[in-house]
Amino acid sequence: MLAIQYNLRNVFVRWRATIATTLSVALVVTVYVLMQAMAGGLVKSSQNTGDPRNLMIVRKGSPAESSSIVSREQFQLIQFLPMIERDEKGQPLISADLLILINLPRHDGGPANVSVRGVTPQGVVLRPQVKLVSGRWFNPGHREVVVSRKMAERFANCGLGQSFKTGLHTLTVVGWFEAGNSAFDSEIWMNADEARSIFDRDSFSSLLARVSNTNDAAALQQRIESDKRLPLRVDSEVAYYSAQTMTAKPIRIMGSILATAMSIGAVFAAMNTMYASIASRTREIGTLRVLGFRRRTVLGCFIAEGAMLAVLGGLLGCGLSLLAQALCLVFGVRFGTMNFNTFSEVVFQFRITTPDLIHGLIFALAVGVIGSLPPAIRAARLPVINSLKAV
Amino acid sequence: MEIHAVDSAPGVHYQLRVMADTSIVEIRDLTKTYLQGEIKVTALDNVSVDIAPGEFLALMGPSGSGKSTMLHIIAGVDRPTSGTCRVQGVNVPNLNESDLADWRNQNVGFVFQTFNLIPVLTAFENVELPLLLTRLNRRERREQVENALSLVGLKDRMKHLPRQLSGGQEQRVAIARALVTDPALIVADEPTGNLDHQSATEVMNILKSLSGQLGKTVIMVTHDPKAAAFGSRTIHLEKGELVKE
Amino acid sequence: MTFATFIAKNALRNKRRAALSILSVAVSLFLLVFLMVGLRLFTHPPETAGAELRVAVRNKISITFLLPARQRPLIEKIDGVTAVTPFTWFGGIYKNEESTTFAQFATDPAKLRQIFTEMKMPEEAYTAFAAERIACVLGKLSADKYGLKVGDRIVLTSSLYPNPMEFKIAGIYSGTQDDKNLYFRQDYLDENSELKGQVGMWWLKVRSADDMPRVIETINKTFENTSAAVRAETERAFQLGFISMWGNISLLVSLISSAVVFTLLLVTASTMSMAVRERFREMAILKALGYRRHMLFAFILAESFGLAAAGGLLGIGGGYCLFTYGDVPKMTNGFITALQVTPDILGIAAAVTAGLGILSSLMPALSVMRMSVVQGLKSLD
Repeated sequence: MLAIQYNLRNVFVRWRATIATTLSVALVVTVYVLMQAMAGGLVKSSQNTGDPRNLMIVRKGSPAESSSIVSREQFQLIQFLPMIERDEKGQPLISADLLILINLPRHDGGPANVSVRGVTPQGVVLRPQVKLVSGRWFNPGHREVVVSRKMAERFANCGLGQSFKTGLHTLTVVGWFEAGNSAFDSEIWMNADEARSIFDRDSFSSLLARVSNTNDAAALQQRIESDKRLPLRVDSEVAYYSAQTMTAKPIRIMGSILATAMSIGAVFAAMNTMYASIASRTREIGTLRVLGFRRRTVLGCFIAEGAMLAVLGGLLGCGLSLLAQALCLVFGVRFGTMNFNTFSEVVFQFRITTPDLIHGLIFALAVGVIGSLPPAIRAARLPVINSLKAV
Repeated sequence: MEIHAVDSAPGVHYQLRVMADTSIVEIRDLTKTYLQGEIKVTALDNVSVDIAPGEFLALMGPSGSGKSTMLHIIAGVDRPTSGTCRVQGVNVPNLNESDLADWRNQNVGFVFQTFNLIPVLTAFENVELPLLLTRLNRRERREQVENALSLVGLKDRMKHLPRQLSGGQEQRVAIARALVTDPALIVADEPTGNLDHQSATEVMNILKSLSGQLGKTVIMVTHDPKAAAFGSRTIHLEKGELVKE
Repeated sequence: MTFATFIAKNALRNKRRAALSILSVAVSLFLLVFLMVGLRLFTHPPETAGAELRVAVRNKISITFLLPARQRPLIEKIDGVTAVTPFTWFGGIYKNEESTTFAQFATDPAKLRQIFTEMKMPEEAYTAFAAERIACVLGKLSADKYGLKVGDRIVLTSSLYPNPMEFKIAGIYSGTQDDKNLYFRQDYLDENSELKGQVGMWWLKVRSADDMPRVIETINKTFENTSAAVRAETERAFQLGFISMWGNISLLVSLISSAVVFTLLLVTASTMSMAVRERFREMAILKALGYRRHMLFAFILAESFGLAAAGGLLGIGGGYCLFTYGDVPKMTNGFITALQVTPDILGIAAAVTAGLGILSSLMPALSVMRMSVVQGLKSLD
């Protein structure tokens, strides 16, 4: 088998011709990987949510927290159940939340629905994922809110000390929090009772309870779901939010389609490069044949060369997408779109996974092989005598 | 002097060049130096030559002697570092790019060692190329081209592509192309270098008749003494200098 | 031979390469047109007939908050308003579906007809709709999907309302942008709801385009300081507001388009470079024969332009035909009703093609111009 060195050297000697092919493959792979990374980021943005010790209680049949209703009476009933863990002071670790959607303008002009979560003080304790990063927590009754930092950067009037209007009420931002890349990173928090008062709601949306072990969890679930008075269902918090994550399948499909379409151009470029490469080495090929190298070897040789070219491009493309992700991370560039499950804005970032990179490289390889097939066949078929005479 | 033209149509205008005492090419102190990397190379060193109209001049010398350089300067495709080169009274190196291009089109015909025909054009179209720059209409161009091709005996192969012609035929088409604008000067750079003996002889005979019967001045670079023998005069160059004839 | 034929012969000198170049231009430009047409769906959602005179009114906090029924007479009183209907989201699930597969809204049948004039239904259907309490009308696409016809009864269960509701199909409608919805009666919903006297939105029709701004302003002002402050906007603005929630799609598409065009430029420029490089000696001969520099430049430019134009025609033309004359609803499973290939999309694509033709020939043309005859003659193939 002809040495890899032979092909590699040819690739580098003819670098001007090969650079276009390599770059175009690189771009195809970059577009593909970044689109898959967007999809991945979207999925990851809400996947990470929840504490395994918590249980979520919502209305049966509600597709989202914002449409779920848990009345105050139901809260009273459940609050002091024995399966629920207690804190040092003996208070039950259970929070009642109100989730509503408000429409706020983004920095780039368009409006979007944002989830506002009214939490009771226990709500903050139950969610250790959520940490204040600047400012302070809200004081109930003062129309104060804390905003996820990722959201604050995207929406108008969400800076520390700024205020925004919703309906008749003006709310002031007193702090920013971060929620470890979970669903809470797309939310605004305030006091639950204050929220109920402002938004004219009698009931809560959901309850969050801490249990100490799986037995208690099962018992609590059994207790609540079998009670005819309570049209509620119980889920592990982690499982509940998992079910809410978007599949981002359309984005993945779009990414594949785009990459395929762009690949066609790259294939043509590869073909051109390989044809030219072969044309200039006709005598060389003839010599190889005379020396005894088989057609098959010549074929394999040129396919390998084309593949190598393309894979080089693929590696470059992977590098470029990793660079893009890093730059976005450094400069805090994020994307937002509508989460169909919650009907509100979800913020996400690029998340490149190893399978993405591998698929990208496979794409590149495919382009290289397909692009060099016709020229390679031609090279293998060149009549030996003619090639030797070639100028 | 008679014009010996086969199949020439009435009105063909190959002009008689009147033999006069004035030289058609006057070269004085022609020098050409250039830098090859960091080394200064002297291709021509103060060469002075007179060429009479209608001469068939052979320029000989070993490789690197400057013979091709001198040919290129006379033909207006290269400029000297110093010295003058007058062709028909015109100091060619002084012309600007545009004028030089026009001058070449009208006054010089090129014949190269590697034929240099354009592979995608037929013999006819190759010969037609220089005429596209003139004001002749289609019919007039056709006339000129056919005449030129007849002169070299290839009118019947007008529609052939270069790859369908033998080496000798290609070179003859190249000569037809060199003739088609009826230039006073024909320059040939190793015209028989890539030809077999028979074709070479054919080509040399044509070149000789161009000078002898059509009165054109043919300047040929060659290292083949047999080819040089066809010429009316031979000049030797060595290391950029004229060697005693 | 003319200069034009000479250029053409050179362009087609290597037929395979010319074909590959033209094809890659065609594919990339088709993709570009596809991207632009797709983007247009987001920036300019298809205009419905009658949309210019419609206004959407929702709760200012967000669309998920309800509006009190008492607002209706106040809106109807405003000069310029010709009809008002409630529009309340039901969110029901049909049979064994996992989620809401088609939208259902509670409305006022008579007003609905007045406001959404593009809706097409036989007269008896309208009469039945207005006459029966549990009557509803269903969009043709959903009717076909579930095999439902006039007279059928269906039950929908919603998590937002306590009891499932049974409806009787009074008519099947078509002719709108969204022939999938189910419209039923607000008074029927009020019976089932604890939230009696609350609606999701108001839709209204104004008398003329001139009345529009004033009507919108009046509505906003009227409820400004009430507990149910509203946001009134044109249908267009309302649609765009929804779409903008999807995110900055324009930016995304622009970035991808740029990548596509850049890749294409690379490919064509390198191909052109290759094509010209193997003709260096020929170019030198042409120069020797008297062809001036700028003529050679023009030859190369024309060749490059010609190839790009051929590819452009193929790609843009193909895209235009496919998207304008193709059966779009069929191709997209009913998702999209029509695609528009506008003059500016064509213009941009054409400009890209032209730019391509020029830019990809620039480098080779310049190097040919700079080359001296002597150098060129010495160059190897």
